[in-house]
Amino acid sequence: MSTDTTPLLAIRDLRLDFVNGDRPLRALDGVSLTVHAGETVCLVGESGSGKSVTALSITRLLPSPPARVVGGSILLQGRDVLQMAPRELRSVRGGIVSYVFQDPSASLNPVIRIGKQILETLELHRPDAANDAEVVQLLKLVGIPAPESRARDYAHQLSGGMQQRVMIAMALASRPKLLVADEPTTALDVTIQAQILDLLRDLKQRTGMAILLITHNLGLVSEIADRVAVMYAGQIVEEAPARELLARPLHPYTRALMDSVPELGRDVTRLKAIAGNVPQLGAWPTGCRFHPRCPKAIAACAQHNPELSLVEPAGSSRLVRCPYWNS
Amino acid sequence: MSLLSIRNLQVHFPVNQGIFSKAHQVVRAVDGVSLDVEPGETLGLVGESGCGKSTLGRAAIRLIAPTAGEIHFDGRDITRLSSGDLRPLRRQFQMIFQDPYGSLNPRMTVEEIIGEALDIHGLAADASARHGRVAELLSDVGLDASHANRYPHEFSGGQRQRIGIARALAVEPKLIVCDEPVSALDVSVQAQIVNLLRDLQDRRGLAYLFIAHDLAVVEHISRRVLVMYLGRVVEGGEAREVCRAPKHPYTQALLSAVPAVDPATKRSRIVLTGDVPSPINPPSGCPFHPRCPVAQARCRTEVPVNRDIGNRRQVACHLV
Repeated sequence: MSTDTTPLLAIRDLRLDFVNGDRPLRALDGVSLTVHAGETVCLVGESGSGKSVTALSITRLLPSPPARVVGGSILLQGRDVLQMAPRELRSVRGGIVSYVFQDPSASLNPVIRIGKQILETLELHRPDAANDAEVVQLLKLVGIPAPESRARDYAHQLSGGMQQRVMIAMALASRPKLLVADEPTTALDVTIQAQILDLLRDLKQRTGMAILLITHNLGLVSEIADRVAVMYAGQIVEEAPARELLARPLHPYTRALMDSVPELGRDVTRLKAIAGNVPQLGAWPTGCRFHPRCPKAIAACAQHNPELSLVEPAGSSRLVRCPYWNS
Repeated sequence: MSLLSIRNLQVHFPVNQGIFSKAHQVVRAVDGVSLDVEPGETLGLVGESGCGKSTLGRAAIRLIAPTAGEIHFDGRDITRLSSGDLRPLRRQFQMIFQDPYGSLNPRMTVEEIIGEALDIHGLAADASARHGRVAELLSDVGLDASHANRYPHEFSGGQRQRIGIARALAVEPKLIVCDEPVSALDVSVQAQIVNLLRDLQDRRGLAYLFIAHDLAVVEHISRRVLVMYLGRVVEGGEAREVCRAPKHPYTQALLSAVPAVDPATKRSRIVLTGDVPSPINPPSGCPFHPRCPVAQARCRTEVPVNRDIGNRRQVACHLV
């Protein structure tokens, strides 16, 4: 982690609504997240938990309306993104923070050769390096064989894994400090997923950039993350160093989520499912958001929503949003 | 006797090129697969996208016409039955689809969706019998009878998948082909559906052909498993054995690529280079040889046959 005291990214108490008619729907409810330079942080959650909304709001990529930030701050290298003028914001997008999304075939332009698309990014962010040699260099960096001829391909001529490599090359073209990867391997097969994870790990070593990986797959956490934050219904319910969290999940949701995943070679006759469904936006339960599905819920859980607070199990310090984590 | 028995099944799709041309090339989606599903058991079918597992699952119950090979269901050859002759038999084999959003008609209520299956096969004497049967089926899959008058959009993904299961169960089938039934669901809900499928199997003696790309799910639910690559079966056997000691280099790589939640599980990762080749123009010899870390000269020319290696295991590899 960084010796610099200013974190690369510091989201503080972010609250965000989607305005639907005259009724605002709360999507993020006090999200705080810090990413230091060179660190890999995983944001884990199920659909509708707000993980992608968090990722997109880092550079205000959500269209407004319907999205509306109603509180909190997003500090990128100490500067508040929420206060930035459009011009400054443009230099941040791609310049400091780059994105890789889930579906590479939808993210690439189908009628422009991929080399040209990478060149566009270079022209925008590093005009002095905007040449074919640099494009080939980037394609080589992400492990695309025969980069000279591949640069002349269109997106449809590449497989899904290769398309995702191109997306990563494009994201890296501007030499970002933070790469936000939103479910980058979800659309890919497992053998290709393994290739992309190896690539991300290797690139992080070589470029020293930080990675914020958004995923629903807890398996990826142990593969790549230094630190992990678990989201449920618009809030972070637990945050910890990856190893500690996986070895000892403290929040009942994290525990239940880990138990519900079938693991290879694990001889269980019955999976431990979580009862009920993920609550929908605008229909979050009162009190602790997880209490209707929580196996350990008591009457008090329905009354007030607990704070994300620092606890100290066995000498380590961890953040958890459950006062009964120890019971 | 096997409930479903498939011998040397081939499904080829013609690829049309240009405006006037005839079909010049074919996609060999399924290229000579044999399998047996016993009554009441689950056979898992795993493989990456494009390996032909879904095509095989659909062809097995004649939703896609096979190009060659034989399909026997309950001792009867259904390979070339006309659709009229097939219809009464369809009661016995049903299907559950991957996308619970796309597989339910948005304009029909749950009662209409499930009741339609009853009507087609004449299984409900009158409206009240039909109503009662729908309520019964809903409670079997863990939904409330009061849900019958709602529309699919009022349900979450997991609940919709339960409706799809209830629809399949309505005609009391012996076999259900489950095509990626949990891969569109949230992790916490996935386990509910897997458990439900197991409970229903125990109670009703159903057989499943369970198609998935997630090896851990398949290992969990299946007794036996077949691993497919480019339209062929490369390995098969008891699910636990195949996952514990894979023989085929592809299965080994596939298993090693599954990320483990538990950091104590150390897998030495075999990262395959390259992508799955096109089934239009599959590689000569063993279809896996261009990506295989241990390929030899022989693998490039000779197609390995699927051999029985004892202990109910089969492998298609020269080097095993």
